[in-house]
Amino acid sequence: MSGLFKWGRKEDAPPAAPSPPPTATSGTVTTSKVLPRVLAALQQQTDPVLVDLGPVVGANISFFGERLSCKIHVEDLYQVIEAHAKAGSTEGLDQAIDGMLGFAPGSVDGILCWDLFDYLSKTSGQLLAGRLARLLKKGGVLYGFFGTTPAELTNYTRYVVEAEDTLRQRTTPATPVKRTVLVTRDINRMFDGLVVAESVLLKTSARETLFRKP
Amino acid sequence: MVNIGKSVIIKGELSGSEDLTIEGQVEGKIELRQNVLTIGPNGKIKAQVFAKTVVVQGEVTGNITATERVDIRDAGSVDGDLSAPRVAIADGAHFRGAIDMQKGGVAKAAGDSKAADVKPATPPAPAPASTPAVAATPGVR
Repeated sequence: MSGLFKWGRKEDAPPAAPSPPPTATSGTVTTSKVLPRVLAALQQQTDPVLVDLGPVVGANISFFGERLSCKIHVEDLYQVIEAHAKAGSTEGLDQAIDGMLGFAPGSVDGILCWDLFDYLSKTSGQLLAGRLARLLKKGGVLYGFFGTTPAELTNYTRYVVEAEDTLRQRTTPATPVKRTVLVTRDINRMFDGLVVAESVLLKTSARETLFRKP
Repeated sequence: MVNIGKSVIIKGELSGSEDLTIEGQVEGKIELRQNVLTIGPNGKIKAQVFAKTVVVQGEVTGNITATERVDIRDAGSVDGDLSAPRVAIADGAHFRGAIDMQKGGVAKAAGDSKAADVKPATPPAPAPASTPAVAATPGVR
């Protein structure tokens, strides 16, 4: 099973060290052209169900819960990825991820993937993408970032929604892994059943993408 | 303000009408519908929780329903669903579950609690000696 995954973990890689507590103004702030469309899609639904696959961020809970009346499910898949990366084994990773996504097919209005797929092997990414596509309702949206350049990832990024078009990005240390670079064709195939509603290449060379289930 | 100390373990149902801080362990159900419940840094809760405001500095496994606010501090940890009109989660806190900030969701969850009593897994432990306005009811009503 472990052979299915591609991991760039170095044998002598230092373990992720605890980071100092972030402040409200730490990190970098970026303007997003895609985020407003994500929010607009959610606003069209009554009491939308939102699944956040990143670590819990208090500001995002307030934003999506209070302003958009979302019911938010937090399933931090980065934590699972980090645990497996730290252990140097991908054994059971897909099952662990699968076990955290116990939602009925067609029951979710929005999914926040952030840059999760950068940290997954192509095979694991394909499995997860298919699963997520099935969870979405018709008209549901999936929001993610996909790195376009090979790199060793030594941090996780927490995306904090500060305003309708503004994201603050804060980093926390990660056990180093090589980024899985997916070309646009691969991404489109992975999310079979979804269409790309908006895709913007950022200065960071990541592709910010909004998928919609037609 | 009532304080349940570090060495106290309660299994069963805890209800009351004044603010409560828990530093010990509680398994079962906690109801302080008009008051503030604080789970201190040493507190470990495996229970359904109903209160006006819930502040989590320790560990909670179970669903929390608050009529005003849930506040998970930076060392706090919650595995369970939250229903409250206001939810604050500090950076560094652990949370896994669903969050419903709709008034309807809070009301529904509060109503459900009346029908969904918790069966304690083990026989009840004695209640703390000095808890004048907080009652620990062993077993299922």
